Amino acid sequence: MAVTLDLDDIQGIIARGYSGLTHARFTVFGMGGPAAGSALLTWLLPRITTADKFSSDTATHVALTATGLRRLGLPERAAAGFSLEFLGGMATPNRSRFLGDTGKSDPDCWGWGAPGGPEVDGLVLLYARSADLLNERHAELMRRLDEVGARDVTVLNTLERLDREPFGFRDGISQPVVEGLPKAVRGQRSVAAGEFVLGYPNGYGQRTDRPLLPRSDDPGRLLPRDPGGSGAADLGRNGTYLVLRQLEQDVEGFWRYIGEATQGPDGSGDPAARAALAAKLVGRWQSGAPLVKAPERDDPSLATDNDFGYHHTDPLGLACPLGAHIRRANPRDSLDPQPGTSASLDVNGLHRLIRRGRSYGPGAGDGPRQATGIYFICLAANLSRQFEFVQHTWLNNPTFNGLYDDTDPVTGSRHDGGGTFTAPARPVRRRYRDLPQFVLIRGGAYFFLPGISALRYLAQLPGPVPSGPRTG
Amino acid sequence: MWGTFPMPYQVGVTIRAEVGADQVPPLRKWLADVARQGLAEPPFDFAHLRGVHFARFYLLEETADLEGKPIPASLVFMSDVDAPLRRHLAELVDVAGDGIDQAFGHCASYPGPGARRRARIGWLRRHQLRASAFYVNTLGRGLDQIRQEARLREVLENHLDQRDWAGRSAAEVRRDLQAYVAGRADLSWAREPPAPPPLPFRIREAVHKVAVPLALLLLSPALLAILPFWIVALRIAELQDRTEIKRPAQPQLDEIEAYEDFGPQNPYAVVGFLKPGRLRLLTTRAVQMATSYGTRHLFTHDSLAGVKTIHFARWVPLDGWRRMTFTSNYDGAVEAYNDDFITEIWWGLNAVFGGAVGYPPTRWLIWGGAKLEQPFKYTLRDHQVPVPAWYTAYPALTADNIENNARIRAGLGGDMSASQAEQWLSLL
Repeated sequence: MAVTLDLDDIQGIIARGYSGLTHARFTVFGMGGPAAGSALLTWLLPRITTADKFSSDTATHVALTATGLRRLGLPERAAAGFSLEFLGGMATPNRSRFLGDTGKSDPDCWGWGAPGGPEVDGLVLLYARSADLLNERHAELMRRLDEVGARDVTVLNTLERLDREPFGFRDGISQPVVEGLPKAVRGQRSVAAGEFVLGYPNGYGQRTDRPLLPRSDDPGRLLPRDPGGSGAADLGRNGTYLVLRQLEQDVEGFWRYIGEATQGPDGSGDPAARAALAAKLVGRWQSGAPLVKAPERDDPSLATDNDFGYHHTDPLGLACPLGAHIRRANPRDSLDPQPGTSASLDVNGLHRLIRRGRSYGPGAGDGPRQATGIYFICLAANLSRQFEFVQHTWLNNPTFNGLYDDTDPVTGSRHDGGGTFTAPARPVRRRYRDLPQFVLIRGGAYFFLPGISALRYLAQLPGPVPSGPRTG
Repeated sequence: MWGTFPMPYQVGVTIRAEVGADQVPPLRKWLADVARQGLAEPPFDFAHLRGVHFARFYLLEETADLEGKPIPASLVFMSDVDAPLRRHLAELVDVAGDGIDQAFGHCASYPGPGARRRARIGWLRRHQLRASAFYVNTLGRGLDQIRQEARLREVLENHLDQRDWAGRSAAEVRRDLQAYVAGRADLSWAREPPAPPPLPFRIREAVHKVAVPLALLLLSPALLAILPFWIVALRIAELQDRTEIKRPAQPQLDEIEAYEDFGPQNPYAVVGFLKPGRLRLLTTRAVQMATSYGTRHLFTHDSLAGVKTIHFARWVPLDGWRRMTFTSNYDGAVEAYNDDFITEIWWGLNAVFGGAVGYPPTRWLIWGGAKLEQPFKYTLRDHQVPVPAWYTAYPALTADNIENNARIRAGLGGDMSASQAEQWLSLL
């Protein structure tokens, strides 16, 4: 079924990660005064990059939290059309337990986004081809925030885009091929557009729930109409949800652990064994070459290879461990029902994410922060079935795919005594006990990334309704 | 040879009693307290009752049926236990008596702590409800077996960790493990496969397995004659259904979620009204009979029609078949559980729940319904009841783990080819 996406009404970050725009800065803001949000959106609107053809030196995107939408004056009946996870936010106690944001990753330890801290209303993503250009755009944004009475809650500086994440592995290789986007190739297995863009059929052939407004709420006819035929004004169409999480990576701890686990009896280091164990944890070599295709040694010619399954070539995980990071984040054909078949791939397709994260670390900015990590960004139309499912049921699940006590060896949270990593081998598997936690959560929020029409609609809202019930 | 003692089969116990309106607030508070303390320790001490796999208490709030007749609040106790039932009911009073007194002390009809043992056991027995269908992941796998096999796996894993096995063949490693187990008196049971359930039980089940199809065969002329009329009538009823799907409210969700996702397993409980009319009732009862037959004879090992994450499940009609509660003890999160329903057993869900008020519209009994992802997930969540007081005997083990442990034990004995030995070793 061919789907035509309204590319000029969709924010471009859904379609592309701007690999050519090597500089990026993310500004988390609060709206402050009542008119600030509206004024800010009005100013941003002409600057937003759409998913249509792109050839610029900069890109700008804006996304809003549930509180931001309310501050703009979105009536409660419209707000109630958003997903419950979005409305409730990322940092409620139940949600934190579910996502594994406990212990040192508890929102109490977050730098931003936690309850009690400055309220997060929105997010501006700026991308540019050069540092100067980025600084220029950023200064412009800061001036504007100031003028309208909004404020930056935090400014997230990223490292100049490299293909490596801070542990040293090529990242972002496997992205879903989205039906209807320019990158979709005929004949290649693609994921339904509705998995990533609201208002289109999703993996179940249905349109994911989204805010639909009575026509009377849109007298100016700014919004597209519900393609389902209800006649409602579709505030969700061409938008999606954006998850931003600050993942702090203990790079030194990671390599220290790998070094200790592979050192010889005399304490000597073994670079080959180090590279091999690290690759087992990740499922790819540092170059990016997947273990299922390069089981013995790194093969840079396979660096961006993404054309493989697990069940037929490596059912037991002898090459790529069952618990390896990439085999959990995207198990491909390895899980029920009927591993190795298209039935398995179909179910896998219900839990995909478009990832748009960027690294940070020393040198990224002039702030006091010396830590290293990723500003993890993913896009999905259904937070519960996509992002939260992957986080809980695949990455952080100690019993994933028949395992017993193995959370994701790279990103997983661990209980107090550390975790286990199992590397299947002949004749006997190798078990690594007391695996430390290498990644901590330092901040995060759920955002709605509206379509362009929806932004235009939101920008002209009258500001917050003075009273009335608030949920979440 | 089989071990000396037959392994028990499993039974589901459901006890329900009315709670007066004045007792509901203290009961709620009591349940919240129990939620914090758990049921493993005194006064319940379920860890010391024999053969308790899972147990729970939950409150069904006061409501009114579809005709507006009030249904008072009630407290439900459920356990999934190894037979015999008689022993379990006695131990509920003898071992968990203080806790049971506290719980059902909120019910006016309960004889109370001062009453004699027999009176209290008799009360529990009289307040039992019959499940219309009861599912156990693997029939005959008792609590002791699950715990023993988990222990066996741990011992073998630790033994494997002690040495470098490089250069050894899988068959050699397996021989080493066999010798190791043989040398440990505490693992002597592992050298033999588990015994099946007792012979009388097996005979009864075998007879039932044959008798039901036989009876259906005898009745088939009549049934086939009725079938077209029933199908058409059901379809008409389906078309007349006016289904209103309600998304659960946040406070309601908060309460349910507060008791979920503390470990790999979760308790599940939904309750709902059945659509009015004889046709719907007959349909639901027939589907329940089919479900019961399926869970007793067809889905007796490792999977409920493809879903491998359920330890125990049951359907219990309430209030004279005006309502039904479905409960289970399952692995993973509710989102994954619901997705399994949609992708694997949508047809079964539709047949079973299509007769319930608020379920997304079905077509011809098994189509539609669960296939409507969002309405289906909303309505299940909206009909979910919090389970504050919950006990699991093996909180860290998924059904998948338990099955894997059983296979490890099963592969300890007998001859194996080199590749079979390799496969077996991959279980560890």
